[in-house]
Amino acid sequence: MAETASKRILVIDDASLVRRYYREALEQAGFEVDEALNGVEALEKLLAEPADLLIVDVNMPQMDGFTFLRSLRRQAAPIASIPALVISTEAGPHDQRAARSAGANFYLVKPVAQDVLVQHVAIMCGLPA
Amino acid sequence: MSEVEPVSPEELRAICEFLYRRTGMLFTEAKRYYVQRRISDRMNALGIAPFRTYFAYLRSDADGEVEKFINAFTINETYFYREDHQLRCLSSDLLAERVRAKRPGEMLRIWSVPCATGEEPYSIAIWLLENWPQVDVQDIEIIGSDIDTQCTAAAAEGEYGARALMRLSPQLVEKYFVPVGKDRWRVVPELRQSVQFSSANITKASETRQHGIFDVIFCRNVLIYFDDASRRVAAENLFEALAPGGFVCLGHTESMSRISPLFDVRRFRDAIVYQRPHAGGKGGGSNG
Amino acid sequence: MPLVRKPPSQAPATVASPAPIEGTSEQRWAAVRDAAERPDGLALLADALSREGARDGDPRVREAIFTSLARLATPESAAVVVPYLRSDDANLRTGAIDALRAMPLACLSHLPALLRDGDADVRLLSCELARELPDEEANRLLCELLERETEKNVCAAAIEVLAEIGRPEAVPSLVRCAERFAGDPFITFSLKVATERIAAPARDRQ
Repeated sequence: MAETASKRILVIDDASLVRRYYREALEQAGFEVDEALNGVEALEKLLAEPADLLIVDVNMPQMDGFTFLRSLRRQAAPIASIPALVISTEAGPHDQRAARSAGANFYLVKPVAQDVLVQHVAIMCGLPA
Repeated sequence: MSEVEPVSPEELRAICEFLYRRTGMLFTEAKRYYVQRRISDRMNALGIAPFRTYFAYLRSDADGEVEKFINAFTINETYFYREDHQLRCLSSDLLAERVRAKRPGEMLRIWSVPCATGEEPYSIAIWLLENWPQVDVQDIEIIGSDIDTQCTAAAAEGEYGARALMRLSPQLVEKYFVPVGKDRWRVVPELRQSVQFSSANITKASETRQHGIFDVIFCRNVLIYFDDASRRVAAENLFEALAPGGFVCLGHTESMSRISPLFDVRRFRDAIVYQRPHAGGKGGGSNG
Repeated sequence: MPLVRKPPSQAPATVASPAPIEGTSEQRWAAVRDAAERPDGLALLADALSREGARDGDPRVREAIFTSLARLATPESAAVVVPYLRSDDANLRTGAIDALRAMPLACLSHLPALLRDGDADVRLLSCELARELPDEEANRLLCELLERETEKNVCAAAIEVLAEIGRPEAVPSLVRCAERFAGDPFITFSLKVATERIAAPARDRQ
């Protein structure tokens, strides 16, 4: 998929195995992947080089995913409008609403199968799934 | 030198993850050769094999191994005009903001800590004289501090070899240095007198407090080596030493994300720097 | 030539810190930072933390209290921090775990109880603390946890740490865990990575 090669995904999760799990699936699908283990680092990386899409774990220590998203949406363009796929352990409508109001574009509940992740990322990037 | 067996992909990932968590430097399989070289160097220096044993040794930080390992991944040479993109940021953006924050006649204060043998604070002085239009009308104080008093003594002497000057044009060397013997130059007296050197351990508030309040602090490539508790204290000490709205510049591979939520991140054209929030701000680490 | 001036030397007066419960947030920040140097520091910090841990507390002062406790790095200072792992306030929980991570050896005596805590979140956070402990002890504690743990995300946290520090004796526990959570793609993936790393190495040529 030649189109995916230009899409840069930033994966934000404090667990290395989670980042690895997503990275493998995304790289295999042809995406370029970078990672950050907390929201502060993610913000710094995005300020240096914006990404095309973010995958954000809600339950991170230090700066939880929602706080990060709210902070992201306060930045200047183009960073502020980077689409964000939020991944959470919680499945309730309340949590989904909270995610939306924090600035998430899409919401998935763990455990996320690798192919499901890639499908959603492809759709969000405007690519054939 | 014995041949160290190449690490497996999983072993590489494990040690790269360790390094990433500690320092923020991220290496992947693409950098295998680069990382393997450094692992092999350490294993050979210690006579430790196989990799699993070395990795356990590294994680236990026996004999300061973590610092030695990290050292292998950072450029440790010091020379004039190193990381000059930060100097550009200083003269293009940081000082302008600080000047606006100051009362008329109030002095700008810049701290280089650790300053090692003085290349950094002298570089700042030279850079500003050469590149900052307001250098003639704005008083600036530049201080260089280090925990190693032999270093600061050498810095005060201001003598350097050719390698330290390699990034400076012949015109700059001619202007700010006098030759003193074969392949050695000394900073001219007026410039030497413009920079003050002192001793300071940035993990000790009693020592940092003695230096007062600064507008810009250069603290490059030292926090990366500290353990968590020491990093936090050092960050607090730097925060305390900054005026509200003041800036701290870290080494270009370093990030406050591993260190402290006290500072805001600011992106300028030439560098990313960290700012103490202005008075009235909460300073929770997020930008804005 | 230059107008870069060498200043007269100046040493600002040192200010005696008031007790850390009073004053502006600036003063409280300075006081809790200095508390680590005082003989009665631990008690002062414990009091200050319960004040700043309240909803109107200052996050920066809180952070400094945690830093000072981490600097003390004793089982007693860890004991002051541990209860905050149960806090409803996510920031307090985070502050607590970061402080404990900064004093790993001080946590050693607390860890067995933390890994058996009734609160799954406490168990989950505590797995991280095993990372900096001596390998044998850490492996033992995490394997014991894996054998009895029913919460998936706590297991995931333990596997994350074992992926770095795991020794061959951890493999049976990891394999049994894989069987219990065979339906979860991520747990399956994590266990595969962890066991591969432990069994590793490339081509051993000893």
